[in-house]
Amino acid sequence: MELKEKLTILADSAKYDASCSSSGSDRKNESGLGNGAISGICHSFSNDGRCISLLKILMTNCCVFDCKYCVNRKSNHVKRAIFTPEEICELTISFYRRNYIEGLFLSSGILRNPDYTMEKLIETVSLLRHKYHFSGYIHAKAIPGASDCLVKKLGVLVDRLSINTELPSESGLKLLAPNKQSKKIEHTMSVVKQNRSRVFTPAGQSTQMIIGATKETDYNIMSKSSDLYQRYDLKRVFYSAYISVNKDKLLPTLELPPLKREHRLYQADFLLRFYHYQVDDLLDREHQNFNVLVDPKVDWALRHLNEFPKEINQASYYDLLKVPGIGPTSAKKIIESRKIFTITFQDLKKMGISLKRAKYFILCNGVYFASKDIFQKDFIEKNLVLEGRELTSTQGRQLSLFGNE
Amino acid sequence: MNNFVYLYEDSFEELLYTLYYLIQNKIRPMNIQSESTYVANLFDSPFKVKQTNFSSYDYFIKRFGKEIMGLARDVYLSSHEKKELILYYFFVNACKYPDTILQRRNLKCVNAVLNISHYVHRETHKMKGFLRFQEMKNGFLYAKIETENFILFALAYHFKKRMPMENFVIQDMKRGVYAFYDTKNLYFLNEDQVKELSFDFSEQEMYMEELWKTFFHTIAIPERENRKCQRNFMPKKYWKYLIEMEEIS
Repeated sequence: MELKEKLTILADSAKYDASCSSSGSDRKNESGLGNGAISGICHSFSNDGRCISLLKILMTNCCVFDCKYCVNRKSNHVKRAIFTPEEICELTISFYRRNYIEGLFLSSGILRNPDYTMEKLIETVSLLRHKYHFSGYIHAKAIPGASDCLVKKLGVLVDRLSINTELPSESGLKLLAPNKQSKKIEHTMSVVKQNRSRVFTPAGQSTQMIIGATKETDYNIMSKSSDLYQRYDLKRVFYSAYISVNKDKLLPTLELPPLKREHRLYQADFLLRFYHYQVDDLLDREHQNFNVLVDPKVDWALRHLNEFPKEINQASYYDLLKVPGIGPTSAKKIIESRKIFTITFQDLKKMGISLKRAKYFILCNGVYFASKDIFQKDFIEKNLVLEGRELTSTQGRQLSLFGNE
Repeated sequence: MNNFVYLYEDSFEELLYTLYYLIQNKIRPMNIQSESTYVANLFDSPFKVKQTNFSSYDYFIKRFGKEIMGLARDVYLSSHEKKELILYYFFVNACKYPDTILQRRNLKCVNAVLNISHYVHRETHKMKGFLRFQEMKNGFLYAKIETENFILFALAYHFKKRMPMENFVIQDMKRGVYAFYDTKNLYFLNEDQVKELSFDFSEQEMYMEELWKTFFHTIAIPERENRKCQRNFMPKKYWKYLIEMEEIS
C-alpha cells in the first residue's frame, strides 16, 4: 500500500481524538531536531475549526476489540492499514522540519493484545527519539491492561501520555465497550501518576470521554471529571461529542453531534480548574444538566444574585473570578491597578476588560453602569441570553477550547 | 507647540536617542518619524537630532530596567502608526513614576504600550506555527513571511534553537530583510546585500506537500465543519504562504 493511502486511512481513524495540545513540555534540543514550547503551538486549523498541532495518527486501525461506537471496531468492514516504525518516523521528521507540526500524537488500535501493542508503540517512539534524534513533542496513548513496566518504558520517551476513559460510567463501558473495564483504565492512570517526573511525561497525562452516546447527565460527567482530576492529577479531560459512525441498536440515533453540550462541559471544566468552583456549585440533583441558554458561570451568578454586584475596587481575587466576563488575567490586572488608582468603568474599558457581561454584576467605586432598578434577575438574564444567541448562531466560541491550554 | 517633525534613522538606538533628547530639553513633539517612512510636505519642518557617541540604550536600560525596555522594543518593532509618540509619552511618565508605571493602566500611553506589546507577541506566537518551510535542492529550508509587525528576529531565533542542525532562510517580504542560518550563526541581511537567490525545490518537496495536504483534509471531521471558527484562529491574511490553504484561497 502506498504511503499516501496509509496516511489517509490512519489519520482518518485518528481524527475523533479530541486532544491536540502540545503544551506543558520544555524539552531541550540536544543537537538533534526539535524542542518543546511550554505554551504549545498551533500550526494550522482544520476545516472544523480545531487546532492542528501534532501529526495525529494511529499506528494501525486493526483492532481486536469491538467497541460499539468506534469506527475501527473488529466487526466493521473498513480498509485496514499499518504503519511501519520507519514510516512514522520519516513522516514526523519531514513534517516537523517544514514546520507543519509541533510533534507526533501516536495512538493505535489493539493489535493482538495490549502488551504487544504497547511494545510496538515503544519501538516506534524509541526509534524516533534515539535514531532520528527527535526532541519535539510526543503524545502517545497508553493502552489500558498493558503491564506496568511497558507503561513506564513508554513514559520516559514521551511528553504526554493519555488513557481514554471512553465513557463516563462503568455501566456505559459494559454496554458499549465490553472489552474495556474502568478498573484497568484507572490502574494505568495511577501508574502514570506515580511515576510522573521531569523526565517521565513532563506534560502530564490527559483523558477523553464521549458525550451523548450513553445516558449520563452533565452532573454525572462533571463528577467523574472532578474525581479523575483529583485522583490522577490529570492535565486535561477532553469531551468529545458523540458522532454516529456505526449503526447499532445500543447506540443512540443522533443526526448531529451534541456540540452545544460539549461546549458547556468544557466551560464548566475550566471553572473547576481555574476558577475554584466545585461540581456541586454548578449542578445538583435538581439541576442535573447545564442551562443551554447561558454559560455555567452566568447561570451560577444568576442563581446567586444576592452576592452581587461586586465592588471592583474591593472584591477579593476569588470574588472577582466569580464575575461573568472576568477571568484570571483580568482579575490580576484589576488587583495590580487598584493599588495605584481607583478604577472606574472607563478604566476597565481601557484595560481591555470586556464589560459586555461583567457590567451587570459589578460596581466601580460605588457606581452601577445604569440605573440600579435594572439589577434584577429577569432583566439581566434576558440581556445575556440575547447576547448568547448571537454566539450560538456564529459558533464563534464553540471550539475555542481545543486550542492550547 | 511647533510643527517640527523629528526624524530618526530607522533603528531602536536612534529612536531612543531622539526621545532622550526631547525629554532632556523638555520639548513636546507633535510628530516623530523614521527617515525611511517620512514623506516631506510644505507644512512641517523636518529636524534630525545630531548624533553623538552617547549610548542611549545603555542609559535607558540602567534607568528603566529590562522589563520596560523589552516592552519599548516590542512597540518599536510594531507597525503602529503613532508608536514613536506613544513611546515618548510612555517614557515621560516612566520618569515620573519609575516603579509603578506598568500598573498605571489608566494612562493612555501605558495601556497602548502594553497592548501593542501583547499584539506583537501574539503575532510572533502565531507565526511560530504558521510559517512554512520548503526544502530546496541542496537541503536547506526556505520560508517567506508577511507579517504586520517586524518579528523576523524573534522567529529566526526560535528556529535556530529548534533546528540547530538545519540550514534555513526566512525572507520578510514586507520589509525586504532576510534571516540566514548556516548551522552556526544567524545573519540578518537587507535586500541590497543579497544577490538574487534562485531556488529549486528538492525532489521530495512536492510529495511532502501533497502528504501534508492529505493529512490536513483528512483530519477534519465533516460533521463538525466550522469555517468561521477556522478563520477566527487562522485569519486569511496568513493564508498566502500556508501550503494547505492554497487551493481554498
